[in-house]
Amino acid sequence: MTLDDGTHDATHVPLFPPEDISIESKRENEFGSLTSKSYLFQVKSCHNEPIPEPIIDTPPYYISLITYVNYLILIIFGHVHDFLGIHFQRSKHLDIVEKDGMAPWYSKFESFYVRRLKKRIDDCFSRPTTGVPGRFIQCIDRVSHGFNEYFTYPGTTNMCLNLSSYNYLGFAQSEGQCTDAAISAVEKYGLHSGGSRSQIGTTELHQEAERLIAKFVGKEDAMIFSMGYGTNANFFNAFLDSKCLIVSDELNHTSIRTGVRLSGATVRSFKHGDMEGLEKLIREQIVIGQPKTGRPWKKILICVEGLFSMEGTMCNLPELVELKKRYKCYLYVDEAHSIGAVGPKGRGVCDLFGVNPHDIDILMGTLTKSFGAAGGYIACDKWIIDKLRCDLTTPNYAESPAAPVLAQIISSLRTIIGELNPGEGQERLQRIAFNSRYFRLALQRLGFIVYGNADSPVIPMLLYCPSKMPAFSRIMLQRKIAVVVVAYPATPLIESRVRFCMSASLTKEDIDYLLRHVDEVGEMLNLKLNSGKSSWDGKVQRWDIEEVIRRTPEDCKDDKYFVC
Amino acid sequence: MSSIVRLPGVLPESIPIPSFIVTACTFFWVHFHDLMVRLPLGNRMLNYIEKSSHDDPYRTIIEVSLILYGIYYYLSNPQKKKSLQGINRNLSKQEIDNLIDEWEPEGLVHRDAKDNAKQEWRLAKIPVVVDGGVDNYVSVTRNDAQERFDNVFNMSSYNFLQLSQTESVLEKARQTIKQYGVGACGPAGFYGNQDVHWNLEYDLAKFFGTEAAVLYGQDFTVAPSVLSAFTKRGDVIVADDQVSLSLQNALQLSRSTVYYFEHNNIESLDKLLTQLNAQEAKEKLPAIPRKFIVTEGIFQNIGDIAPLPELVKLKMKHKYRLFVDETLSLGVLGKTGRGLSEHFGMPRATSIDVTVGSLATAIGTSGGFTLGDAVMSNHQHIGSNAYCFSACLPAYAVSCASKILRIMDEDNSAVSTVQQLSKSMFNFFDGALREMRNYITVVSDDVSPVVHLELTPEFRSSRFHYTADQLFTYVSSSQKKRQTTIIFEPYEAEEQFLQAIVDELLMKHNILITRNIFVLKQETLPLVPSLKICCNANMNEQELLGACASIKEVILGFCSNK
Repeated sequence: MTLDDGTHDATHVPLFPPEDISIESKRENEFGSLTSKSYLFQVKSCHNEPIPEPIIDTPPYYISLITYVNYLILIIFGHVHDFLGIHFQRSKHLDIVEKDGMAPWYSKFESFYVRRLKKRIDDCFSRPTTGVPGRFIQCIDRVSHGFNEYFTYPGTTNMCLNLSSYNYLGFAQSEGQCTDAAISAVEKYGLHSGGSRSQIGTTELHQEAERLIAKFVGKEDAMIFSMGYGTNANFFNAFLDSKCLIVSDELNHTSIRTGVRLSGATVRSFKHGDMEGLEKLIREQIVIGQPKTGRPWKKILICVEGLFSMEGTMCNLPELVELKKRYKCYLYVDEAHSIGAVGPKGRGVCDLFGVNPHDIDILMGTLTKSFGAAGGYIACDKWIIDKLRCDLTTPNYAESPAAPVLAQIISSLRTIIGELNPGEGQERLQRIAFNSRYFRLALQRLGFIVYGNADSPVIPMLLYCPSKMPAFSRIMLQRKIAVVVVAYPATPLIESRVRFCMSASLTKEDIDYLLRHVDEVGEMLNLKLNSGKSSWDGKVQRWDIEEVIRRTPEDCKDDKYFVC
Repeated sequence: MSSIVRLPGVLPESIPIPSFIVTACTFFWVHFHDLMVRLPLGNRMLNYIEKSSHDDPYRTIIEVSLILYGIYYYLSNPQKKKSLQGINRNLSKQEIDNLIDEWEPEGLVHRDAKDNAKQEWRLAKIPVVVDGGVDNYVSVTRNDAQERFDNVFNMSSYNFLQLSQTESVLEKARQTIKQYGVGACGPAGFYGNQDVHWNLEYDLAKFFGTEAAVLYGQDFTVAPSVLSAFTKRGDVIVADDQVSLSLQNALQLSRSTVYYFEHNNIESLDKLLTQLNAQEAKEKLPAIPRKFIVTEGIFQNIGDIAPLPELVKLKMKHKYRLFVDETLSLGVLGKTGRGLSEHFGMPRATSIDVTVGSLATAIGTSGGFTLGDAVMSNHQHIGSNAYCFSACLPAYAVSCASKILRIMDEDNSAVSTVQQLSKSMFNFFDGALREMRNYITVVSDDVSPVVHLELTPEFRSSRFHYTADQLFTYVSSSQKKRQTTIIFEPYEAEEQFLQAIVDELLMKHNILITRNIFVLKQETLPLVPSLKICCNANMNEQELLGACASIKEVILGFCSNK
């Protein structure tokens, strides 16, 4: 029963030793050095101007039809498969039938989507990796058996260009000041935090990180947590109850929904980004009050995300602040994806829109993404934080963040604000801004349908048909590019998409390589469906790839080419 | 007109109907008939309608009204009922504006400085470890660095085995950071799961003897996420009435029908389960609901352990699944630290269906995990929110946990040291009860590395003038009224009294223990304040017992002093 008894199961992911390469090439693999000063872009603040409603490009009708038919076929086949399977291959379907008077772990109906649809493309998800998820990511090769029933691992890896990790500023590195800080934190503080924050789990590092974050986002005080999802999931029950109302964007992250459910507050959602709808809803709710009793709401909290991770769109912050002030609501902004990655100084959506952070009551964010660490934070006024420290469950019951993670947070934050290696933080910010704008505009010019704002580092490209998801993902993997494909339930049923997460660690040449392949594959899979609705001149875009690569690096610095 | 005369009995003469309805229906029928004849398969449909209305006219009436209701339902807007037009108050724009102006919301959080001060004294008492990590001897500051204490003996850490302090583990951490960086930068479904994560899952499963394991980012969020991935409305959960807040949250999120049984009382559980199964048999449900017994390994608020053999017997007898939160017991119970099941000499795979564990307690890095069979574990990869929608653990935490499991596998000396120390610590306080009997009870078990000391009910009511029941009644009625802040003065007084003991120990004896920290407002089960004293494998018996003697002395001093 020992752990190392020498048996190596072929269905187990092998452990890979560190790569034997020189420090220079390692550094280059994690963070490509800048090839030209012209591939930088300094984002400007919008000075509190509300953004126009984004224009959503739509595919031709036949594409929607094909997509529905595609799902229909999959569902019919799935049901036939289920019927035959349960009657003739019972031994393979034990997970969905009752056994010895016990209900199965999940019912046939609940798990249908997972068993019969998602399983077909399981090879596109949960690809094991090794090493740093930086500019390149090493995907571990695997061989699928029995239609993704199980995988075997031949023990080789495939070095892919990384468009999948949330490594916006390129701090996923195993070289440089952040790694040094993390390693010396291991020496000085060890790995263990001892218990909850209130019990013994607070060290001077926690306090320093909190001070830095508060200063960075422009709030009086902040609190950090060991898990981003957990920050939201255990947040709202500290100050909301069933007599409070949450007005929530329909596309808010699951962690917010879980947290809201735990608090028991009533939820009304509004259409994504629809500010008129939101205003109408708030007005109505103030007048109607609580359901049944009709008493006025104790408080109303507007809940939005700064940058929506599946759409690439940003919340309309100036408008939201205006509404919040007019109707005496509170505003909660989840900056999971935007903090660090967005704005002239990387300080999130407030920075980008030129909104005073004091106008937002609660700023939440994660430390997993731009900072290359783990965990989440909440930033508010000091008196609110003091109260929350008493009432929140996480600091009183959950483990506190560990020292190496805190060291990574502190050092990456200090790099961004220019205290460490002056100039480096600024360069990272300018690189991600250029990369995002360049890639977004180039995709549009090639004829693809792309969602989101100009400065968003999340670039979703629409695929529509569910069968094109695995096709795109597999072909890109063959071409040594790691991408993420997402479908229902994370997106609306017919809007399956591939989500490119831009990073400051990519060079312009990497993006050219990527563009050439996306262009070819897009042609192959009939993905160039742009109708011109969302392009600046209103014309259908079908540029030649060479033309795109030649002209876009300069054009992408001009705001006029971006409609939203 | 001849066609009308030939009409079949659309409306049979047996029913007295006003003639204008007959005329209208006939008119409709003629045109409908004309249309249907032209359509493919129309004749067959006509035949069917004629026949059915002839044989059973009432059925036709019901069918027609169903169709009409369907059209009505399709056209009605369900959102409208919740909106302003829906409730039909007929307010003018001016009136609406006035109502909006009049509305005064409460503060985002409770904003009464006096009330808040009654709770926020706790913030000044949070120890901050400075100049080093959380070791057995630490320097701490409190209250914004206004107080400082050096060389303090730390008896409040949950790092029971202290294996994360060994040099080989620290070396592993450094190596991993040099190879992987710190963060994983992605959720498990999208390239976030690295080879080290997969391997820790294999190691955990193998070490604890289950088919599979699943890793999570934080221990506290695991249970709520996992339990709700397997339950829905109509499922049944029977839970111990002393479970920790993490499990209380899990029960709330499960959507299932929850019943509580008296803490560790097997007879009451047996009775409850028999009753529930009888009730279920009466209901004749189309499918069997999923049924769980939920309990803890070492109870976080009390420190005693669940009677596993009896629970397993009951779960087999009544066809339930057993869900055990072993946050504190994995790594501590059993000869080699394999938890509650090893403690009772039972195989984990067949006795406990879902185990929830923490990497941040005895194993000493960070994160949480579940153990169980392969089907259950696989379903979490898509069904459990905290797994799907959250980034993976940092690689170093994971590889170090693997390393620590290896150390535990080869050598159980840390585990047996903790068990020995727990026992002697328990025996010390149990023996000290001769003097403290009037004031203190020891509620924890001798196998728990955390000793829980509570005031006796008599002492509590004579000193602080309340009982546990009163506290619980007050808290639940305040929760029902949705009070934003719950302040129960006698309880606050007892908390401050216990904190004074902690302070005295810290100031006079350089010993750091802690109150059992919980948020009264969030707890839905009866609970009383207590003191927690933790031991770990790097302590020696002498210093531990010396510290315990000081603790006893201080407690006696405070309790006997009126």
